[in-house]
Amino acid sequence: MTNVTLSKLTKEFEGKPDPSVDHIDLEIESGKLTALLGPSGCGKTTTMRMIAGLLRPTSGDIKFDGKSIVSIAPERRGAVMVFQNYLLFPYMTIRENVSFGLKMRGVSKTETRQRVGEMLDLVQLPGLEDRMPKQLSGGQQQRVALARALIVQPKVLLLDEPLSNLDAHLRDEMRELIRRLQGELKITTIFVTHDQEEAAVLSDKIALILRGRLQHFGPPEEYFERPASVEIARFFGGVNFIPGAYDGSVIATSIGKFSAPRSSIASGAGVLTIRPEAVEIGGEGANSVPGRVVSHVYAGRYARFLIDVGGIRIEAVSDPKRVSQIADGDSISLRFDPNEIWVLAQPTEGDGVSLGASEGGNGSVASVSGDE
Amino acid sequence: MRLPTSARLSETTAERLRIAALLAPAVALIVLLFLGGLVSGLLRSLNYFPLIGLDTPNFDAYTAILSDREFLLSFWLTLYISLVSTILSTVLAVAAALLLRAALKGRRVVNVFFSLNLTIPHLVGAVGILYLISQSGLLARAAANLGMIDRPAEFPALVADPLAIGIILTYVWKEVPFIGVIALAILLSVGEDYESVAKSLGAKRWQAFRHVTLPLLAPGVASASFIVFAFTFGAFEIPWLLGRTYPSALPVLAFESYSDVDLGSRPKAMAMAMVIALLSALAIVGYTRLSRRFIRS
Ligand SMILES: Nc1ncnc2c1ncn2[C@@H]1O[C@H](COP(=O)(O)OP(=O)(O)OP(=O)(O)O)[C@@H](O)[C@H]1O
Ligand SMILES: [Mg+2]
Repeated sequence: MTNVTLSKLTKEFEGKPDPSVDHIDLEIESGKLTALLGPSGCGKTTTMRMIAGLLRPTSGDIKFDGKSIVSIAPERRGAVMVFQNYLLFPYMTIRENVSFGLKMRGVSKTETRQRVGEMLDLVQLPGLEDRMPKQLSGGQQQRVALARALIVQPKVLLLDEPLSNLDAHLRDEMRELIRRLQGELKITTIFVTHDQEEAAVLSDKIALILRGRLQHFGPPEEYFERPASVEIARFFGGVNFIPGAYDGSVIATSIGKFSAPRSSIASGAGVLTIRPEAVEIGGEGANSVPGRVVSHVYAGRYARFLIDVGGIRIEAVSDPKRVSQIADGDSISLRFDPNEIWVLAQPTEGDGVSLGASEGGNGSVASVSGDE
Repeated sequence: MRLPTSARLSETTAERLRIAALLAPAVALIVLLFLGGLVSGLLRSLNYFPLIGLDTPNFDAYTAILSDREFLLSFWLTLYISLVSTILSTVLAVAAALLLRAALKGRRVVNVFFSLNLTIPHLVGAVGILYLISQSGLLARAAANLGMIDRPAEFPALVADPLAIGIILTYVWKEVPFIGVIALAILLSVGEDYESVAKSLGAKRWQAFRHVTLPLLAPGVASASFIVFAFTFGAFEIPWLLGRTYPSALPVLAFESYSDVDLGSRPKAMAMAMVIALLSALAIVGYTRLSRRFIRS
């Protein structure tokens, strides 16, 4: 059981103007599964390499259980990293791969043999000891890489995009496996992903990183229900953003006033946001507005509608059966449940974030259905 | 694109035939010159030369050279030169490649440095080494001028010396870049991630080198080393220029026997050439084995 603390962790690479990892502060609790989430190039792998000791921070500190470990060599840190592309040693059998860490520690042959067997059982790959890595599928190789890391009983397990090279079905299976193993073994685990859903499904807490900076750290629900900024909301699939003036209970926008008790700001210039699945199509009464259907997409498990409300595009996700009842061009009423509305601070110019209520996610709906 | 299978098949067969036809003249030439030379040499070494009435092949030449002290001395000397040159070149090349990878920033400069050396002919290198380290060479004179020795002639004999230091130096100078380029290319293409994995799993630096870097390098570097061995075992000009007259390296001895006024020693010369060819062939077999394994992984 080890907790991991990053303080002002920074990495600058020569020849790059901006730091790849920029003053990250993070307190990762012992025995928890934490996701490092962010788009490609935001510094996730760089952060993991620094924790594993494979890369020296430019500045800042990393502590395991309160003790700084930046000057400790990787092999003595007890943090084991599993790489995105598995990197099984190609000239070794599965047994030799899994037992590598034990061999480095001089563990006896008989004990090694037994532990390799147990480990392969644990990752559900019994009996493959004498195969070569090339003879295994991607999913199997990933499990072997996991077994090879777990066998040394690491204090901290670092998984760099463990699922990104697997197809959808295998990914679900591996998610299950990682979740289960982590629950049983209680190893402090940090895993990297650029998929917000995966982060939500797997982790106790998510650290969202954009452009090398930590944006927010908290449990998955927070990101969906109470995002801290427009940028974060957008990263988690938010598409409806309507600017307005907020007085603490009601937000006045160009398409009307909405009662909104939940907010991240006390009052002032705000942005109303509501998740597409919370928009009630056909809902009337208080907090409702009239609109006209622009286009729709049928996705089997749900349908997605793009609706024009006084020049602002609203996206709504509903029961797929609605597709037979609503045609493009129809006038409909939309209701925003007050408890589903979340009011955010308006992004300032310098953030480089536009509200883009009529482009972004909305545009893609229009282009998929192809009839605007 | 959507031809029936048979049509597609015959198309590829036709394509293969066309390529074969294009290559035929070159292949014929090589076969004629190389195999022809080899076969006629073999026949000559077996005392088979019907033109002058020798029409019953025998192993006389082979038994003669195997009981000839000069041949045996020469054989061991050549083996010693090749083995030491190959091992030294391999070790130094791997070390150089590792150092150069660490100093990754100078990569392009380094490659130029390596390649420059590769373009200099062996003979030119040998002459350079001769100027540098012989007893009348630059180093000897410099040492004498600096008062380290009284006369240049007191400089240790590194040319035409019993340990063949001059020859080995020339080979090492020439072959380190050859093996080094290959080792560096492997290191750069494999990347450092495997070593990172090893360290992360608890391998100390030398353990990561021993259990990860070396096995990844081994097949490719060993192939290059086999080529170096085959080459140094059969090369004539360097030992001829920098070696002693007795015993001389095998290719030198073979050439001298061949050009002997006594035509009767020709079969012996051919037998020696066959021994050289056989050892080089063995090295090449080793090379193809390893390189095939290397390509597969
Ligand atoms: N060795 C390096 N030298 C120079 N720049 C680097 C190096 N490693 C990473 N970077 C830069 O640092 C930034 C962050 O890289 P990093 O690999 O951490 O991103 P990531 O979040 O893991 O992205 P991905 O999801 O694509 O794996 C990138 O802009 C990258 O170009
Ligand atoms: Mg990465």
